Amino acid sequence: MTTLLYNHPVCAEHDMGHGHPECPDRLKAILAALKHPEFAHLQWREAPEATLEQLTRVHPARYVERILAAVPRHGLHALDGDTALSPRSGEAALRAAGAACAAVDAIMAGEANNAFCAVRPPGHHAEPSRAMGFCLFNNVAIGAAHARAAHGLERAAVIDFDVHHGNGTQAAFETQPAYMYISSHQSPLYPGTGRRSERGVGNIVNVPMPPYSGSEDLREAWTTFMEPALRGFQPNFIFISAGFDAHRLDPLAELNFTEEDYAWLTREILDLAAEFCAGRVVSTLEGGYNLQALAASTAVHVRALMDAA
Amino acid sequence: MYEFLGCKVKDAMTVSPITATPDTPLGTLEQLFEAHDFNGIPVLDRQGRLVGLVTKFDLLKAFILTTDSPAPRYTDIINLPASSVMTTNPETVSPDLPLSRLLQQLVEMRTKSFPVVENDRLVGIISREDVLKALHRTTISP
Repeated sequence: MTTLLYNHPVCAEHDMGHGHPECPDRLKAILAALKHPEFAHLQWREAPEATLEQLTRVHPARYVERILAAVPRHGLHALDGDTALSPRSGEAALRAAGAACAAVDAIMAGEANNAFCAVRPPGHHAEPSRAMGFCLFNNVAIGAAHARAAHGLERAAVIDFDVHHGNGTQAAFETQPAYMYISSHQSPLYPGTGRRSERGVGNIVNVPMPPYSGSEDLREAWTTFMEPALRGFQPNFIFISAGFDAHRLDPLAELNFTEEDYAWLTREILDLAAEFCAGRVVSTLEGGYNLQALAASTAVHVRALMDAA
Repeated sequence: MYEFLGCKVKDAMTVSPITATPDTPLGTLEQLFEAHDFNGIPVLDRQGRLVGLVTKFDLLKAFILTTDSPAPRYTDIINLPASSVMTTNPETVSPDLPLSRLLQQLVEMRTKSFPVVENDRLVGIISREDVLKALHRTTISP
């Protein structure tokens, strides 16, 4: 079967200003890596814009309207000290969220086993009514909500290995037992949430890791907390918030993961996906700010998706 | 041969050091540290009273990753005032303190420099380097 790659050129036109770490070059570095002949069997698809119906499963309609109305014709519009809109940001954000939904549809139609969404802006910090931390719409939560609403799946799980806690995804799902959110992240670090005691309705599993944690700590976190939780939940669809900023070369954090760790973790997730949900996995890009490490880590992540497909 | 024991802080300190006010932006302090070879800048209020000390370490601390933002907002941070990072009520020493005692304090407190205060007025600053120079002057024959 097939691994799909969702992308759209407009995702590289969302630009939060000179020197901003969440920059268009991130996507360019990833796409350059995925154009290597090794990835010739990836099936590239254009990310469509999410519909209002898809977005409003997570965000109130007035929030969506407010974000889109704030998109400037020229220059930048700052939403907070970290997050800004440029003229193409609205379309980029709609396509970043739409990619996850389209990937779900394609997989449910039997066109592929799994998909990677090479999109930006990222999403996991976006709360239902608040843009923050470089995020506008919560792409992964919108995808997970779509899987349930449009395809009648009972349980959707999100695994988030970005170095920052996905406060937005947690906020979207913490009262809904049909979703499980599992996050490994550095603590303390932005946004300050993600304590182990934050458990939602028993469906939130936070695994905070102290600075300088590395490969062995990740394996222990997976084996002790993440895998048992996922196994107990028995998901019908698995989503991945794929941030690669826990890499040892990333400038915005202090964890010490390597490319091999990302390959290993992806394979572990895919093994469980094969066991519980016929391998149905949609992974969507979150953070990762060292371009070389980001491209290399994404490449091994996508390689693992292709090997499982 | 025990000439060092006769030295006092005032014999080795830097007099009339460069100072800042509580409102001096961190960007200006950064430039001062870059232009001059010292570790700490005394902060004086409008009445000329010592209210704090900003060290290179204090300045670095302003730029660390925090839970407030995914990336330090460098341009915002360099506009913060000295008062936001300075050590308030810093340890001070008297100009008449024997240099041997000052050396002891520098080592025990792992401090790099002390403001020198007399009658509530800043009269100088004394650093590790100043003490090393005094040791050199008093113990090594020319």
